[in-house]
This record gives sequence, structure tokens and C-alpha cells, in this order.
Amino acid sequence: MSFLDRILLLDIFGGLKLTAKHAARKADTVEYPEQSREPSERFRGMFRLDEERCIKCTLCAIECPINIIYIDWHTEKNAEGKAEKKLDRFDLDMKRCMFCGLCEEACPTNPRSIWLATKTYELGVYERNEGLYLDLKKLTKWDENVKPYPGVDPDKAPVNPAKEK
Amino acid sequence: MSHTLLHNVLIPFLKGAITVVALGLAAGILTWIERRLLGRLQIRKGPNRVGPQGFFQWIADTVKLVFKEDIVPSRAEKALHLLGPLLLFVPAVVVLGLVPWGPEFTLFGVTTPLHAAADLNVGLLLILAVSTIGVYGIILSGWASNSKYPLLGGLRSAAQLISYEVPMGLAVVSAILMSGSLSMVEIIEAQRKAGVWFVFPGLIAFFLYFVSGVAETNRTPFDLPEAESELVGGFHTEYSGFRWAVFFMSEYGNMISVSAVATTLFFGGWLRPFPNVAWLSFLDVIPAFFWFAGKVFLFLMVYIWFRATFPRYRFDQLMALGWKTLIPISLGNLALVAIAALWGAAGLKVLGAVLVLLVAAGFIAVWMRPARPRSSTTMASPNVEVRA
Repeated sequence: MSFLDRILLLDIFGGLKLTAKHAARKADTVEYPEQSREPSERFRGMFRLDEERCIKCTLCAIECPINIIYIDWHTEKNAEGKAEKKLDRFDLDMKRCMFCGLCEEACPTNPRSIWLATKTYELGVYERNEGLYLDLKKLTKWDENVKPYPGVDPDKAPVNPAKEK
Repeated sequence: MSHTLLHNVLIPFLKGAITVVALGLAAGILTWIERRLLGRLQIRKGPNRVGPQGFFQWIADTVKLVFKEDIVPSRAEKALHLLGPLLLFVPAVVVLGLVPWGPEFTLFGVTTPLHAAADLNVGLLLILAVSTIGVYGIILSGWASNSKYPLLGGLRSAAQLISYEVPMGLAVVSAILMSGSLSMVEIIEAQRKAGVWFVFPGLIAFFLYFVSGVAETNRTPFDLPEAESELVGGFHTEYSGFRWAVFFMSEYGNMISVSAVATTLFFGGWLRPFPNVAWLSFLDVIPAFFWFAGKVFLFLMVYIWFRATFPRYRFDQLMALGWKTLIPISLGNLALVAIAALWGAAGLKVLGAVLVLLVAAGFIAVWMRPARPRSSTTMASPNVEVRA
């Protein structure tokens, strides 16, 4: 740094200029409860199961590294007289989930039937065991604990596009 | 009502009350302004929920602080613990009372200077003396808390004050040399007579005064007595509720006082720019008080701008800056100003012109210099869609 730079306090004025420039910029923050940012394309958020697509193969439960998916099923004759699997229980203990995504990778259906991209991230609950232990009803039809992300229809939640490519 | 009673009791009492209330209100509003401006400088919004643009935030905060529990540590020195914040707050009010806010004005047939206390012939000396008392507030509250962090904060404040009082005093002396008076009103009148604000011949003195002022009010980058990342809260660690609020009111009060004194000494107090140039007389449409208030406000904004820009000095850097840089500069500046003042008003104008030209030439030389290659840093913007 030259003598002239030091005597004129160029670094000081440079710093002041930099912060002054920022004063003219629009705030990058968002007024959260009223506005929110669209999560990135890869973000999936709250679990949601498509019961129609699911073939009850239990591969997701087998693949889950911490065994938090519990599936029970029985066989029934449908109207055409063919044997069909019916779910008795599909529980997902979400309070232990680490969001590794292995269940989704194991799913053999196309498009995948577990963990649709709902983009809902407002998962705060007052009671952990009730709010974050998802049974079949909560996985397919959310209860009042989960607010759908604005603009995403939870009944037509798309499969994670980044994964399907 | 007798004339004496009106002029010696009622009006001074009224003006004193107005000063205290004005300082309290200004300190409150300044907290909101500071948070909003810091928000802007940090690309966020700042408090904007309570009232229009969040303006009532400071009232909400005051109410919260009044109703908070007032905790006094059990081993604290009770009387001094109570005295500390008051000792810090009172000098700020007194200094603001000693600074003239405007020329004489007439209201309801009574003519009185817009000046809370009298225009003393030793006004500046009294301001220096009183403003220094404030540090006792910090040291005593630090010591009386009977806790290590406040004590360290208090000691740091004492060392800082001793170091920066010297360049500040020498900077003030240049203003006295230029005006030939210690009276605040006469310093302003001298600037009118000289036809130039003292900031031009006193460019270096003003710089020294402002830097020392930032250091003496314990503001960033010299906020070592508080230093929340090192000393929890510094001298006010053990304070809560309204006593803590008094500390903050005095910090802002001291900022206002230092800005008011800087305005008076170097920026012509209530004078409009170029007070002797006739064709600029349309500027007199703005009353004198608002010129004063506007200049003080600009200084306060610069304080906040500093806070948003500079990180805190290390303590040895602070001492080195004070003793090895500011004091030698202030001594040299004093000699320069003394020679110019001996020459008279013409000398002040010449010195002012030379200093301004030198600085301008320096900046032009830097600007003309071939640019060195710099690492390309771009301001990253998230550029994420926002939905209402």
C-alpha cells in the first residue's frame, strides 16, 4: 500500500463506499409468514404417498437404513377375481427420518409412489409423536398439522422432477 | 409575574425540561433509525412490524424495558450500581444544553436565545470537563457490578478515554485558535465573520475530533468497553430493565452531544452554508434550528454508517492509533492552525484552500493511477423468486 493510499485513508473510504452501495440495493430478505421463497427444484419437503401407484412391495421399508417404515398388507380378491395386495398399515416415523432419500430410490414404480415433491416445509408441531409419526391416513391425506405449500396441489403432487430425469 | 422570575427561573427551567425530553425522545427514535439504516446497509429490512415502517418499535422496546425485572446482583455495590447509569446520562444532557441550537428567537413577546443553558464565556471548557465525567459512570458501574466482565469493560473505557481525550482536546484547541473564544455562540459568530466554516482550515482537526468522538462515545469500531463478542456486555453486563435502557439512552445522548459540538465547532452551528454569500440567502427560508438539527442528524447517520462498515479494533491497535497516529497528527495540526490564525482571517482562508486542494489533488492522483489487477469479486444475489 502506497503512502498516498494510507494518508488519504483509501481503505476506509473504500469500505464506506461498499456499504453505501448496499444501501441502494433491495433487501434480499422476505417477510416470511406473508411471503415465502419457492424451494429449489430438488426440494421435496413433507412425505406423501400415492396409494394408487404403490405396489406394496415393501422395498422402501427394506432399504430404509434405520427401519422407520412399517408396512403390513394382506391379499384380497378384487372384482375381476385376481389376488390384490391391500395395505393394513403404512407408517413412517418421520421424527427419526434423516431424509437420505434411499426409500425413494428403491421404489420400483414409475413414476415413484413414495415421497412426492410436495415442497411443504412448515412441519412444526406441538406434539412430536402425534404430528411427526405418519400413518397411512397422514401420508395420503394430511391432517390439520400440515399446511400444503401454496401453489402445489397436494393431491396432484408431482414426482421429484430432478430424480425422474 | 415579575420579569426576573420569568427570565431567571421559569424560562431556564422550561428549556432544561425540553432538553431532557428532547434528548430522551431523540435517543429512542435514533435506535429505530439505526436499526432501519443498518438493515438497509446489510441488505435486509430491519424492524418494520410495529406501526408505519416499524416506527413504534422503539416505544414497544421502551415499554418492554420498563416492565422487565430490575436485577441488582446480590454482591454488587448498591448505591454505585444505581449511580453509574445516571452519571453517564447526565453529562450527555448537560453538554447538549451548553450547545446553542439557534440564534435568539421571540415567542409570546419573550426574547431568549435558543440555548438550554446560558452562553458561558468558558462554554467549550465546561463541555470538555462535563463530557469527561461520563466515563466515571462507566467505570463505577463496571466496578460496582462486582463481576469480571463489567470491570474489564470499565477499565478499557478509562484507558480509551485517556488516550483519545488528548487528540480531541488538541482538535478543539484549533477551533479555539481560529475563533479566539471559548464561548460556543462566539465560535459560531467567528465562523460567520470569517466567511468560512472552520471545517476547511480545520479539516485535520475535524477529522481528529470526529474519530476521537467515536472513540469516546464507545461506538463501533471503538466499542471495546461493550465488546459483546468478548466481554458479554462489557460495563452493562449486570444491568437489566430500565437501568440498562438508561445506558443506551446515554450512548445515543453522547452521540448527539458529540455531533452537536462538532457541528458548532466546525460546521457553523445554526449557520447556513456560506453564510456571507448574498445570493445564497434563499437558503435562509429554512430556520436556523433546522440547519443545526440537520447537520447533527447527518453526523449521526455517519456514526451508523461507520458501525455498518468497520469491524472492532483490537485493544493494542486502538492504543497505537491513539498514541502513535492521532496525537502526533494533532500536534502538527495545532502548529499549522496556530500559524494561520496568527495571520488572521486571510490565513484561515488560505489554509482551508490549501488543505482542500491537497486532498482533492491526492484523490485525483489516486484516481488517475493505472488500475492494478484486482481479484474479481461479484456481489452474489440469491435471485430467487419471491411469491406474495
